[in-house]
Amino acid sequence: MNISIEKKEFMNAVHIVSRFSDRKNTTLPVLSSILIIAGDDGIKLRATNLEIGIDLKLPGKVSLNGVVAIPAVVLQQIAGSFTQEGSITLEHTGDLITLTGETGKSSIKTIPYDDFPSIPFPEGTGNRIIVPGILIKNLFSIITPCASTSTIRPELASIYISIEGGTLTAVATDSFRLAEKKIPLTNKGIQGKFLIPAKNAADIAQALPDEEIIISFDEHQCSFISPTRTLVSRLTNATYPDYRQIIPKESIVEAIVLRKDFETALKRNTIFSDSFQKTQITFDPKKNTLSLFARNTDIGESTETLPARVTGSALDLSFNHRYLSTIFSLTPAESLSITAAGIGRPLIIRGIGDASLMYLVSPMNQ
Amino acid sequence: MDAKNPKELWEQVLTQVELSISPANFNTWFRNSFVVKIDDNIIYVGVPSQFFKDWYLKKFHSLLLKIVRDISYEFRNIEYVIVKDDGHRKVSREPKSRSGAIELPLDEFYINKSDNLNPRYTFDTFIVGSFNNLAYVASQAALVRPGITYNPLFIYGDTGRGKTHLIQAIGNQFKKQYPGRKAFYLTSEKFAVDYTDSVQAGTANRFKDKYRQYDLLIMDDVHFLSKKDKTQEELFHLFNALHDTNKQIIFSSDRPPVAIPDIAERLKSRLASGMAVDIGEPDPESRMAIVRKKAASHGVFLSDDVIEYVSTTLSGSIRELEGMVNSIICQAQVKGSVPDIAEVRQSLRSFTRPQKVVSIKNIVEKVAEFYGIDEESIYEKTRRREVVRPRQIIMYLLREDFNISYPTIGTKLGGRDHTTVIHSCEKIKREVIVDTSLSKDIQSIRSLLV
Repeated sequence: MNISIEKKEFMNAVHIVSRFSDRKNTTLPVLSSILIIAGDDGIKLRATNLEIGIDLKLPGKVSLNGVVAIPAVVLQQIAGSFTQEGSITLEHTGDLITLTGETGKSSIKTIPYDDFPSIPFPEGTGNRIIVPGILIKNLFSIITPCASTSTIRPELASIYISIEGGTLTAVATDSFRLAEKKIPLTNKGIQGKFLIPAKNAADIAQALPDEEIIISFDEHQCSFISPTRTLVSRLTNATYPDYRQIIPKESIVEAIVLRKDFETALKRNTIFSDSFQKTQITFDPKKNTLSLFARNTDIGESTETLPARVTGSALDLSFNHRYLSTIFSLTPAESLSITAAGIGRPLIIRGIGDASLMYLVSPMNQ
Repeated sequence: MDAKNPKELWEQVLTQVELSISPANFNTWFRNSFVVKIDDNIIYVGVPSQFFKDWYLKKFHSLLLKIVRDISYEFRNIEYVIVKDDGHRKVSREPKSRSGAIELPLDEFYINKSDNLNPRYTFDTFIVGSFNNLAYVASQAALVRPGITYNPLFIYGDTGRGKTHLIQAIGNQFKKQYPGRKAFYLTSEKFAVDYTDSVQAGTANRFKDKYRQYDLLIMDDVHFLSKKDKTQEELFHLFNALHDTNKQIIFSSDRPPVAIPDIAERLKSRLASGMAVDIGEPDPESRMAIVRKKAASHGVFLSDDVIEYVSTTLSGSIRELEGMVNSIICQAQVKGSVPDIAEVRQSLRSFTRPQKVVSIKNIVEKVAEFYGIDEESIYEKTRRREVVRPRQIIMYLLREDFNISYPTIGTKLGGRDHTTVIHSCEKIKREVIVDTSLSKDIQSIRSLLV
């Protein structure tokens, strides 16, 4: 194999692809490597950890066809150290691959690629939708932190995607809070739903291009296809709980606050929160205020009162402040609407003017 | 071997696969695989994801097919299915609940967190006999005027005599009589661990306060404190603090306060300063009462001869007695009828203590070592005084403790006549009554042999 690639292109490609190689499991060394394929249809980089897989095309000159597997960590470190503009040549001889730049030359030991698994790319049939990659990228990166990190319940460690009536709804919950975000689709006919493991979604979000992509899915896997790259992920094969049941239908009080106020108040309150990270929220419709209260026996206590438009009846509820502050990464809206349905029932936070997002937090026991 | 059993079949296949591919490959691809079902001679193999399915089809299909065909020609094909994430790990069959009558009484293990007392131990279930009457009366007296009559109350006796039952019963009764006051039960070992933990965490003061707040402190098995100097000191201070404020303290131990080894004098004298009562060995009548009550509490009424048999066959502790009763009750529940004497005799065979098995050679060795003589000389014909005496003692022990016949003893100890053995045994038997040093020697040898 003999190929030459632009340094910058190569660097970006390696950076993206190396995320898909196996970083922990070293039983099969070829899984923690990147496969470089030089063929008549160009240069391709591949990696998989058997949960997700990527196939990425990159522009370059192929002088001699061939296939080689290189440890991802080594390749990533080398690619990360490139500084100057220019191109780099990769030449494969024996079990060594030689990388030659303008100033230096390095030889890396390769790994036998016979064991490199085939990545199960979809066969074109099945459900497919077309969306701008940037939307999915944002969707995945803001919503994945709300999914559970424990593997005990695989369905909660996944993002639930349902496509219906021209809208794509993504839901993530760890049973303490729940985030639901909707994005509009251009083609309306498709229906379907799937569960993608949150960990995989986070990796895919990093690798998605901004331009339009095709998402296709079947029972066991889904793929994200753009002209330059194909990403594949295993799907969680479980039933997602019917989350709509826990969303309160009615509310007894609503407060509208400025995001800026709420954010600073919460930040200051956090200093005083106890080991349970408890923050108490008080709705006061008479004074038109929303106040936050936290107490830590070792540090002290603090009350923050912020102006709000409160309609409904007075109410006290306690929450984990970490769950409350998640809302700031979920929506860019300037004002937030906070609605409560009563003691012991969840709180709903939405951004004013951002109908696409709904965030629900369960209260702590008082 | 049943080739149709999916699990066994797959295990057989895997052992073959393991031989033909690299360990790394085997671990990656086959560790989580299993056979879902065998249907119409097609084997369905469960795999975690599409990645696996594709790779199985591409790489391993022909290998697997060859292996299963080797096992049986009947198998037509192998198919790969992607399994659910939550399905297969659960054990599908729950243990079937047996008939309602013998549901395990979990509440017996219930222990109150705030005072550590087990509510199962009450005076209602405590059998009073001549052996523990004094201890019972003392504890009743202590309950009438806690902290004043007998403080501390020190109860001692061998293991399994009901010390823990008695002192926990005091605690439970105390709670009932004086609802506002705090009682606390703990073992001395727990106390020691608590203390070391608090020292480690730097919260020794909190530790002190914690124990000083109780109105009744019950400490079980206090003899385990021996050699733990710092803990003893802490207990000493705690004792003084509680005693000065007239808070009742109750201890239990397997021996009287003065006999606890390696415990500071000042603590020893304090332990003995109140009332020290012992619980002796239960007499047969009490044992019978215990057996009857224990069985009745489980709703099983045993006939008198069974009760008598159970309580007299073994001279073990009350705890062992309870064990025997439990085993009878269990049998009664399984069979649905109360067992008669013959069945009980049969089932309790396992409870009889195993005969001590000690070889003659072993005894000779121990005795020779005890007297500091050469082991060989025992077997020789020598009549030296320092050898004759140990040889006679060996004969005596073999006869008395192990019931070995006179002729056997004779032949084993260097081919002596059985009359010689008889003479020796008789001689030692006579002397051991008058000669205290000899009886002491024999006692120590016996303890060596156990």
